[in-house]
Amino acid sequence: MIRLAVPLASVSVFFLLSLATVRVFQPRDPKRFFFLYGVGLLAASAFVLTWAWPLRETTDALGLVACLLLQALACLTLWNAFYSLLWGFSGSMMHDIYNVTALRDRDRLVRSYHGDQPRDRILARRLPNLAGGGWVQVQDESLRLTPKGRVLALGTLAAFKVFSLGMGGGVK
Amino acid sequence: MFGAVALAAVSLLAAQTVLVALAAALRPRSSIYVTIVGVALLTAPAVPFTDQLFFGRVLPFDGRAFLVLIHLALGGFLFQFMTLPDRSVTLRILVELELAPGRTLSFAELTERYGVRTMIVSRLEQLARGRFLTMTADGALTLLPRGVRFGRFVTSGRQLFRISSAN
Repeated sequence: MIRLAVPLASVSVFFLLSLATVRVFQPRDPKRFFFLYGVGLLAASAFVLTWAWPLRETTDALGLVACLLLQALACLTLWNAFYSLLWGFSGSMMHDIYNVTALRDRDRLVRSYHGDQPRDRILARRLPNLAGGGWVQVQDESLRLTPKGRVLALGTLAAFKVFSLGMGGGVK
Repeated sequence: MFGAVALAAVSLLAAQTVLVALAAALRPRSSIYVTIVGVALLTAPAVPFTDQLFFGRVLPFDGRAFLVLIHLALGGFLFQFMTLPDRSVTLRILVELELAPGRTLSFAELTERYGVRTMIVSRLEQLARGRFLTMTADGALTLLPRGVRFGRFVTSGRQLFRISSAN
């Protein structure tokens, strides 16, 4: 079980690299860096684990797979926590409520998301990625789903049904 | 050797997924995340005994322990995966477009179906149910001790990462 120290060390490196990258470079799309670091560290851990514990028996193979899965899960959890708690909608909203006393009012909070722009800030942040990624087409004042976007939408709808999630999107 | 390990992993994930789907269908109002954690933990004690099924023999302690860790890690992946359809604003926008006539919506129509007010009010209600804050009928919000701790955590985290943009 001592081999679990390898993914633990890798996850620590992942956190420190991600922290340094976001702090120093402030990238517009940090997940590209997170992905690069995650995959690179998985490869490094696989190398170290197979060097220290050569694959002789089934237990060695199980140990390797368990360590890599746990490492990938921990990195994904950090990545998700970053986006959902710090960078994303929920975290930003909680940040506003905590720091701006005037926004401790439902209607003022809703208005703060509209601002002076023609689109609210939630849609304004997501629209360039949706259009740039080829998921939707923006025509004049409307949005049209592309075939690529349909695949994702149908997959999401299937997940709604299979796991009884209602309509998702954080709305209960 | 890896073929049997891969088969074991796929089977363990499939079994958890089916059990979570069944449990969610039986109790649709309960938290899907609690369901996933519950299924992973409740089924974990049975996992060491699947060694004969997957590998044709009894594994030593370490082998069985790694099998349980694989099972729990896969449950963790299911948990993380679930945040996508359950929480993602982007995916919900795509679903609204899929359900719209001609798969097209004007910005006004999209806002009517899934707008800022819907999102914010829903999340405020979830925070109120989680005892992070209270919300009166006229919309006044008061942070409870748990909400203050959460707000402090989010603020410290954003300072640590130097995040200034609002999303």
